Amino acid sequence: MRFQPNEDQATFLSVLDQMAEGDAAAWKTSPEWARFEWSETFDGMLEANGFLDCAGEETLGLTMAVAMTHRVARLPVLAECAASAVLRPLVGPELPRPIAVVDGDPRDAIRFLPVARSVVHIGEGGVRRAVLNPNAVSPVDSLFAYPMGRLAAGALEWQAANADPETVRNAWRAALAAELGGALKGGLDAVVAHVKERRQFGRPLGSFQAIQHRLAGAATRIEAAHWLALKAAQSLDPVDAATALGYVQDAATRIVNDLHQFMGAMGLTLEHPLHRWTYRARLLRSAMGGAAGNLEDLAERRWRAA
Amino acid sequence: MDFDWTEEDRAFRARVRDFLARELPSDWAALSRHGPGSKEQTEFSLEFCPKLAEAGLLVPHWPSEWGGAGRPPWEHFILGEEMWAAGEPRGAQYMNVNWIGPTLMRFGTDEQKRRYIPQMAAGKAIWCQGFSEPNAGSDLASLRTRAERDGDDYVVNGQKIWTSYAGLAEHCFLLARVGGSDKGKSGIAIFLVPMATPGIEVRSIPSLIGHGDIHETFLTDVRVPASARLGQEGEAWSIINYSLANERVGIPRYELASRVLDGMVKELSKRGRFSDPVTRLRAGSASAACEAARILVHRTVDKRSRGEALGAEASIARVAVAEADHAVTDFGLDYMPDAFSGDGDLAVQTHHERAIVTGIAAGATEIQLGMIAQRWLDLPREVH
Ligand SMILES: Cc1cc2nc3c(=O)[nH]c(=O)nc-3n(C[C@H](O)[C@H](O)[C@H](O)COP(=O)(O)OP(=O)(O)OC[C@H]3O[C@@H](n4cnc5c(N)ncnc54)[C@H](O)[C@@H]3O)c2cc1C
Repeated sequence: MRFQPNEDQATFLSVLDQMAEGDAAAWKTSPEWARFEWSETFDGMLEANGFLDCAGEETLGLTMAVAMTHRVARLPVLAECAASAVLRPLVGPELPRPIAVVDGDPRDAIRFLPVARSVVHIGEGGVRRAVLNPNAVSPVDSLFAYPMGRLAAGALEWQAANADPETVRNAWRAALAAELGGALKGGLDAVVAHVKERRQFGRPLGSFQAIQHRLAGAATRIEAAHWLALKAAQSLDPVDAATALGYVQDAATRIVNDLHQFMGAMGLTLEHPLHRWTYRARLLRSAMGGAAGNLEDLAERRWRAA
Repeated sequence: MDFDWTEEDRAFRARVRDFLARELPSDWAALSRHGPGSKEQTEFSLEFCPKLAEAGLLVPHWPSEWGGAGRPPWEHFILGEEMWAAGEPRGAQYMNVNWIGPTLMRFGTDEQKRRYIPQMAAGKAIWCQGFSEPNAGSDLASLRTRAERDGDDYVVNGQKIWTSYAGLAEHCFLLARVGGSDKGKSGIAIFLVPMATPGIEVRSIPSLIGHGDIHETFLTDVRVPASARLGQEGEAWSIINYSLANERVGIPRYELASRVLDGMVKELSKRGRFSDPVTRLRAGSASAACEAARILVHRTVDKRSRGEALGAEASIARVAVAEADHAVTDFGLDYMPDAFSGDGDLAVQTHHERAIVTGIAAGATEIQLGMIAQRWLDLPREVH
């Protein structure tokens, strides 16, 4: 066991960090106070610099694709990383991106659809994919912090993906676990910075034990979630994947509510970025069956023979 | 990154399991119900640990100079997982292996090392840890037991409490205040004290966690030579910080929790009571809590294996370990309440009696959360 990245992975992560800390990914309020900022610039940088192809590199692999998904989800701006980096190598390396993923009811609003060029459907019957055309998508307003749209039934030419559906599902769960964990970490970092600065009763809010302990509890779960997602990415084992996603989805409810609590009224404004992370987390917690579905599925797999 | 065991690790684990299968007697499950500090388990450990030592499985991670084989920390941990999950047949001696031995190696004088370490490496030494006092629990630095210098000796007076294994221990790793100060971390020293020294009286405290485990230890005019002091006067705090960072994650509790959960699910399935989705969800949730604890503890082992000191990661792991222990107990209470009576399920009862300790001993959960807040999240210290 080695929790440290190898040399190539360390370089990969540090260059990614530099990009993530640059201007293109920084927090700015968006025009007309939109609830998300789809950053074509940052998304383009990830693609142009080859980051999204890391899964195919022997020394980087799917583990780095999932680690990158976590890092990108910590940012206040949006890029489409999880599907392109983790799913595309499995279901169709030539698919045009950004990629939207249907992992629940295809009639529901789907994230990234208005900016996507192709779509992958992970369904009961297997995995299929389609290139999008403008007639197939209608954007919808949403409380969630993603560009959301609905698919017009029958407007697409679906193609079965030549991939093991089980592997795809497990990889996608690992990716979602990392994306949700990253969103929670982004929110936590912002709230920790706030409670160090903000003073009430003559002292920083962050010096109150009631706040410290709840943030420390959140940090513990966010740490565990991060490593569980990476482990699932490496093994692609169904129990590991359901564990990673079920665990972080279960933790998300309390963490998100606490983070908002400690921001006070400021957290309800569009001038502070906290909402960007919370309204991603509030969507992702129901993905692929949500906490209940994933935890039950993990029990079913772990004790199938029992 | 690699989250899988190596072939070598797997082979080592198989060796440990083989050994346990061979050496644990058929009535071991009942014996281990007495608890690691009991007379029964202590006596057993004095037969079992020498055999472990003989097989090279007691202290493989210690340097060869001290009876080990310089094996990586991962082997130490695999051993710990297997031993704890088996009910800890090393009894109190796990403490020597985990931290007392290594602490002596690092801070002891040549004479102290020669006197104590070979016995530990042979599996024949029972130690206890005299830290807590009636008025110094979480706030350990307020301890009052005092060691007054008297020529070449110190004379110790005071009282310790919650001292595990004290009833049968031959030596105590004792903290006492020295010099003029009445409080604070800087005026404390460590003494290696034979429990047979006149003036030491031990009383067992009846408890929920097995008989003979925790004790009151009274020290009245206990005379120890200055050569029994470990490190300098005032150095105790930095030494125990070093030792106890490891001890927070010293016991791989999630391994027993996870195996007991396995056992409960098997039993429920057998009785046709594991098809209800809510039961499965709850079992899944307890399983995820165990895996979270496992990976966070493994992260600390990884750090140690690279020779790095543990910081708040140990507290993070400890908090997750307590959650896992509770999740498994709660699952049992909800779905297998009868396992807690009679000889329903010894493993469930053994686990429960060990699990209620997790959020309290080795630093209460709230103390760990405070350390995470201040050292990991860099939040400002509380002001009073
Ligand atoms: C089974 C067992 C074995 C033990 N073995 C040993 C041993 O061998 N040697 C030894 O020296 N000690 C031993 N201990 C003692 C152990 O180290 C102490 O129990 C522990 O440090 C807590 O101290 P306390 O019990 O006095 O609780 P207290 O300090 O009285 O605290 C009680 C509770 O108050 C809360 N609390 C305390 N401080 C704070 C704070 N600052 N902020 C918020 N909440 C707080 C926590 O919830 C804590 O659990 C053992 C304990 C147990 C349970």
